[in-house]
Amino acid sequence: MMNDSQISFEQILSAMLHMLRETWKAKACLFLQMGDQGLLRIRAVDGIKMSDASDITLGASDGAFGKCCASNKIVEVQKPEELGSLVNLIKPLLNKDEKFIMVPVFGESKVIGLLLMGPFPKSTEVMKRDAELRSAGALCAVLSAHWRLYEWMDSIVPQLNHSLRTPLTAVQGSIGMVLGGVFGQVGNDVKEMLEMAQKGCERTVRAIEDYINNQLPTHKK
Amino acid sequence: MKVLVAEDDPDIQVILRMVLTRIGKCEVAITFQGNEVLPLAKSQKPDLILLDVMLPEMNGLEVCAALKADPATKSIPIIFLTARALPVDIKEALSRGAVGYLAKPFDPMTLVGQINEILTPLGTSIGA
Repeated sequence: MMNDSQISFEQILSAMLHMLRETWKAKACLFLQMGDQGLLRIRAVDGIKMSDASDITLGASDGAFGKCCASNKIVEVQKPEELGSLVNLIKPLLNKDEKFIMVPVFGESKVIGLLLMGPFPKSTEVMKRDAELRSAGALCAVLSAHWRLYEWMDSIVPQLNHSLRTPLTAVQGSIGMVLGGVFGQVGNDVKEMLEMAQKGCERTVRAIEDYINNQLPTHKK
Repeated sequence: MKVLVAEDDPDIQVILRMVLTRIGKCEVAITFQGNEVLPLAKSQKPDLILLDVMLPEMNGLEVCAALKADPATKSIPIIFLTARALPVDIKEALSRGAVGYLAKPFDPMTLVGQINEILTPLGTSIGA
């Protein structure tokens, strides 16, 4: 369960990208997450400012991204123009005899994101360290899946709360007014039945509190 | 005492109207749309506004901010009455200038008492 004092997924991913960049002696490392609309969004970076990258979105089928996503293979990028909207971000980092590498992040039976890292001399034999890069991609996939789950929970918990509490308010409110004598006194049998219904409502409210508000993980709590 | 209620659920509107008129002895105006609260508050000058958070057109938090930003309505006490009851929601609602926060579902027989617990330190109450 996350709270303000705990490290965010973005920070964990950034720390992992930092380790990867240091190990590979690269200037920049980026993690791009595939969104529901098939667009790639930069979710974590190391070596460049996140503020320069956070608003950039890319079509998952564009240029080198399309090649990497479709083949689920590590792709070498030698021209910044192959990086679509990222061209202005990567161009200053990439010299003539250098390349970037793009690693597919595979999860849920599909490519769910990409790791982009570089620059490296063109002569660097990246494929010899394929397993190492794939492992970094797998770790990104796990973190990304958790991140998406938390984001989904953040959107669904308030909706669930509202959808369950609103009809309960009508039920409990009606019973409460009848039992409270707002419409006159009721017989003991009716009273007993209504009290039972009221207890049922109270138990449901406690269950909502327990399961939805206390047990489901969200970013917000 | 005049109370303006902003609540989009028709069943809860009925219950609130009954509770506030019969137990709270209040004059009640109800709207189900967030964007109608500010003009109604200006024209009817209620003594209290009960505000749901999830309202169509304009949510309760935005409504609260608009009411507090308008000199004609900024002094009207606002109490949120809502199903969004996570601590973070309560904190956000109070930061917009509301004087209190009541969670749904509520017990209609104690609702007036709960409202008065919030209003009494401000020197006012309902149900007298």
